[in-house]
Amino acid sequence: MKKSVMLILSLLVVCSMLFAGGAGEKAKAPTADAPKISYEVTEPITIEWWHALEQQYWPLVDEIVGGFNQSQKLITVDAKYIGNYATVNETLVAAHAAGTGLPALTVANTPYVAEYGKGGLCEDLNPYIKATGYDIDDFGEGLIVATTYEDKQVTLPFLISTQVMYYNKTMADKEGIVIPAKLNDMESFLAKATKKGPDGKTTRWATIIPGWDQWYFETFYLNNGVKIVNDDRMTTDLGGKASSDITKQFQNWVNKGYTYWASGTSASSVMRQNFIDQKAFSVIHTSSLYNTYKSLVKDFEVGMAWLPGGETKISEIGGSVLLIPAKNSQAVKNAAWVFLQYLVGKDVNMKWADGTGYIPTRNSVLSSQEGAEFLKRKPAFKAVFDNLDEINPRIQHAGWNQLSTIWRAYLDQIMIENSNVDTQLKAMSQEINEVLADSE
Amino acid sequence: MKLQLSRRSSKQVGDFATVLPALLFLALFVYYPVVQVVRISFTNWNLINDNYQNVGFKNWIWLFKGSGTKYLLNSLKVTTLYTLGELFVTIVGGLMLAMIFNRMAGSFSLMRALVFLPKYIAMSSAAVVFLWILNTDNGILNFFLTKIGGSKVNWLGDKNRALFSILLLTGWRTIGYGMMIYLAAMRGISTTYYEAASIDGASKWTQFSKITLPLLSPTTLFLFVTTFISAMKVFQSVDVMTSGGPYRSTEVIVFMIYKYAMVDFRMDRASTVAVFFFIVLLAITAATMKISNRSVNYDV
Repeated sequence: MKKSVMLILSLLVVCSMLFAGGAGEKAKAPTADAPKISYEVTEPITIEWWHALEQQYWPLVDEIVGGFNQSQKLITVDAKYIGNYATVNETLVAAHAAGTGLPALTVANTPYVAEYGKGGLCEDLNPYIKATGYDIDDFGEGLIVATTYEDKQVTLPFLISTQVMYYNKTMADKEGIVIPAKLNDMESFLAKATKKGPDGKTTRWATIIPGWDQWYFETFYLNNGVKIVNDDRMTTDLGGKASSDITKQFQNWVNKGYTYWASGTSASSVMRQNFIDQKAFSVIHTSSLYNTYKSLVKDFEVGMAWLPGGETKISEIGGSVLLIPAKNSQAVKNAAWVFLQYLVGKDVNMKWADGTGYIPTRNSVLSSQEGAEFLKRKPAFKAVFDNLDEINPRIQHAGWNQLSTIWRAYLDQIMIENSNVDTQLKAMSQEINEVLADSE
Repeated sequence: MKLQLSRRSSKQVGDFATVLPALLFLALFVYYPVVQVVRISFTNWNLINDNYQNVGFKNWIWLFKGSGTKYLLNSLKVTTLYTLGELFVTIVGGLMLAMIFNRMAGSFSLMRALVFLPKYIAMSSAAVVFLWILNTDNGILNFFLTKIGGSKVNWLGDKNRALFSILLLTGWRTIGYGMMIYLAAMRGISTTYYEAASIDGASKWTQFSKITLPLLSPTTLFLFVTTFISAMKVFQSVDVMTSGGPYRSTEVIVFMIYKYAMVDFRMDRASTVAVFFFIVLLAITAATMKISNRSVNYDV
């Protein structure tokens, strides 16, 4: 038996070493005398668009895609709901690796831009923009940076959101609670908005911090001088003093019962339910869920506030971008480009913004009468419109997903287990440094 | 003589031709992917980039001497605990239920069917239902607990309880399966053994320990090996219920592999862990089979 096992293992290693010779193939670089590519759609074609818009948005998706199909003679779009952003990512990456079953166009969550761009998953849109004279300057500068990888426009902004604080406006007016603008004001706000029972247990949280996605808490670090990825792109400052201070502050608030660290698979829905049931005065969440909160809350008015800042008060772009997988045929890419332009077009963008909780992406909308009318329909968005210049692109690094997984796991442990902050952050930063150096 | 050889070789060719489709299928869908996974473990492929290089033993060094070691050890510990739990529920629980339900009455048949029924429910669907049953604030389990004077339990968010909560789902699904397998085996034991033992004055416990248990040993071995392999490869329930959390306390090894491949885009590291896991499973299964040859009684 031992001999057989050893034989199988030896064979596997030998075979793998033999096959390993296939690795390291380089893609052929386009030559100067390569035939000129046409970006025209010349024949009837049906293409697939993958999206992550849940069932409540399907009527809107049908309306918008139907509008496109009616306007086209040659292109028919088949919209497919794939799942949440993580599922879209898995499905897309698997299809890319297999080189088959790719959609013509797909959404992708904003942090994937760098990894997809570096790996060559996305088509460079610059030649399409140039060939068709597409006006890209109408997008905000931050949006362009967020959708670019090393000067290549690999994606375009689609449904954009940012981090905000939703609060119970009715309760705030009644109890005179002021939403803090600065992190220094958080302590008094949390103390005032928290309610405790006679046994000292919290009966109403002042706020809830989402620990399931680092996007929600990373701005607290950025605004207080922490460099999550240092300029050398191979180390992090998350083990430093500034990071330690803010982490200790979070841990202190959790220990005092002002807030809880929401992590785990159903943390988002539980947090939302706690807010709706008025067990939480406020929650930190994405602005894209404004419509959802508004429709679910019946007993009070929902307010929206900018997150408390520190030295700065920046936030980061969330939501999704659109990309054309590079392994598609040119005919599919051309059709996808036509549909992409339609999806991010000014009029359609306003439909998305109205029908969901996402922010209009066009400068010509934001700074015009249309923007003012949008605010009349959704006054809570004033908090976002007042701070549009503060919305920044996400940190782009090929090791970002690994970094965020490690960061979340360590902070979970610090907050829930009340572990020693400095010891944990030191171990965490060593691990992150290794990942960053290995991915760059 | 020549004719005999020719007949034998043509029979061998015929036999080989019969199994050839199955061999081809295995080669294409099992052996080739296994070889590929071993190969990828020596590269830096991230699943997206087609231009990857051989990196020698870098990933193996990461796994055994780098930051991967502590996560591997953690996952091995979690997977072992989970496997022991599932083995206990399936074998001990299944045997106990089989003893209870080893009756022919109609009402017992219905109850047997009810116990076995969860096995037919897809794991992912069952996991979603359990996710809500075990929800801290709105789950029905905590609702009943508070009704009888208990306090709410954080079933999935507490690192000391999360794995146990997953085992609740596993137990609910697999205990009926263990019971049915044991019941079928019990029906195959001749009643003459028990009659003879009764005449000799053997107690019920003696009959159970000296007749039932030894004669059920092939079934126990079957359940042990199949449950062991499936438990070591648990994924769906963990993915749906905890995603490996809280802070990796339910990160079983297959989930670890999945996370490296599909969340972190580290197909190279995922493959390294997968190859290591393959070797561990192969070795344990081989050892189990070897030990079982000495201790399992196939006489009925």
